[in-house]
Amino acid sequence: MAQMWITMGPQHPMTHGLWTLRVKVDGETVVDTEAELGYIHRGVEKICEARDFTQVTPYCDRLCYVSAMTWANSYIYAAEDLLEADVPERAEYIRLISAELQRLASHLMWLGAFGPDIGNLTLMTWCMRDREMFLDLLQELGGSRMHYNYPRIGGVKRDMPIGFADRVVAKTKLFEKRLDEYEMMLDESTIWLVRLQGVGYANAQDMVEAGVSGPNVRAAGVNYDVRWAHPYSVYDEVDWEPAVEKPTSVKGADCYDRYRVRMEEMRQSCRMVLDALDKIPGGRNTNYANGDAMILTKAPTRAPEGATGFSNYECTRGHSQFYIQGGGDGRGKNPYRVSIRSPMFITIPYVAKTMIGYKIADIPAIMGSFDPCIGETDR
Amino acid sequence: MVGSITPEQNLSAAESCAAAISGRFGGSGIEVSVERHSNHKKYAFVRMTTPPQHWIALAKWLKFELDVNYCSMVTGTHFPDGPENRGWEVAYHFLRQPIVDQKPNTCTVHDVEQLSGNDIPVEFEVFIPLPQSDTPTVPSIQSIWVGADWNEKETWDLVGIRFEGHENMHRVLNPHDSPDGFHPLQKQHKLRYHDHNEMYDDAQGFLRKPADEGRVK
Repeated sequence: MAQMWITMGPQHPMTHGLWTLRVKVDGETVVDTEAELGYIHRGVEKICEARDFTQVTPYCDRLCYVSAMTWANSYIYAAEDLLEADVPERAEYIRLISAELQRLASHLMWLGAFGPDIGNLTLMTWCMRDREMFLDLLQELGGSRMHYNYPRIGGVKRDMPIGFADRVVAKTKLFEKRLDEYEMMLDESTIWLVRLQGVGYANAQDMVEAGVSGPNVRAAGVNYDVRWAHPYSVYDEVDWEPAVEKPTSVKGADCYDRYRVRMEEMRQSCRMVLDALDKIPGGRNTNYANGDAMILTKAPTRAPEGATGFSNYECTRGHSQFYIQGGGDGRGKNPYRVSIRSPMFITIPYVAKTMIGYKIADIPAIMGSFDPCIGETDR
Repeated sequence: MVGSITPEQNLSAAESCAAAISGRFGGSGIEVSVERHSNHKKYAFVRMTTPPQHWIALAKWLKFELDVNYCSMVTGTHFPDGPENRGWEVAYHFLRQPIVDQKPNTCTVHDVEQLSGNDIPVEFEVFIPLPQSDTPTVPSIQSIWVGADWNEKETWDLVGIRFEGHENMHRVLNPHDSPDGFHPLQKQHKLRYHDHNEMYDDAQGFLRKPADEGRVK
């Protein structure tokens, strides 16, 4: 049979955003693929050069609209490396809690979008319902539902409101039960298993060579995680362990493993948040005033001459990294160059190649299981 | 609780990597040092500065002797006002990750206290300064780390650094029909906030103007 190219996207439910997957098919079988990105390139790196270090934060929120808090944190750690800012212990705990709540919300968004890919529409409504709990919590911190602009260089914008900790505990404990419900619905569904198991194999070393990171690699059986390997925040003080799966084939993790590892990661996030609330210095039901030394240390606004800042952060989809070259006195208080490493920018072209050999109908399952987000990909 | 890499593990791993690199490449113009981040944990990493002609040899050695298996980012920077020998700079960031392929139904859970030798995660930073030129060029490492492929595409697309030997180089974030030589992160392209309108001034041939053209900003 003749081979032909099919264009999936930019308007296609499989893409989870705006990008194009060009697929060369031989009958039903995928024989070659090509990813085309850049549809929503906003030039964030260039814009940052005309902003001072604090003004860059909201742009980093908008890199990924599903996971704003982790991206803003990632930038903040790089800026703190550059500006040599100290951070109070309490602020680090609050950042950890906010990042893990964001991870829950982001993974729920992923699961909610992944369900309809596979044909399970109920999942979408369940996940949106539960994600709302965590968006409400994040809104209490940052003041908005999606783009929080919450972390500051040297701390956080404001302390946890009174009662926030109790609401976190209540919602997290409720959500832990809900996770069991999800698993009852999904792991016993034949359609779910048939669509995911044995599809989209990717093994650990290949993925790392290709630059894939985060839960996708942990699904292939290695518990490598930036949060213990290059610890940043207070992840070494709270109780958790990296989620890891046991892939069932020498070919590596399939879509089912990648789904399982994210479910486990949500459990670990709940565990981390609950433990961090118990250990937070200053107490969980205290509210320090804005700018108090417990939550914010005044940071220099100008970078030392020739300094660079780098952060390596476990974002919800893999390693998000920032590399900043500082201005120094001669160049003012704006960064000279901000470089952003987005995990999905590297992962999407890799995933496109892993689809070769599978059927067209497997493409949404494979793509969805890697959790694509185009906001961060195109920057 | 699984435990994290301790500062002692981190520092000794970074120092032994730096010693190995300077032992192998000392005297060739490659500078190696162990630096510390200045944020929360003050963790150590290895920083190298190499002239472009030694880059491939160094890269292969890092990959095969030090097990640096993960190329995380490539950054190009334009210094039009910089010294003659540093008009451009390419910065690479690498991680060493203890990743192994798994037998079916097994997984590797690293016990952090037991990690030793090349299994300890370390961060590497490589700077390649390039002289002032219209055609800054470094050799491509696409054939050494597959992960460098799209990073290099992006760096060429946005900054205009040429990667010699890169296969299948094309635009990734800019439109595919952008004019040759248009690389928006070069410093001659100004934002409006720099009191310039060049981003709108026909760089792509669209004859676009900002809506508030001519008004006081």
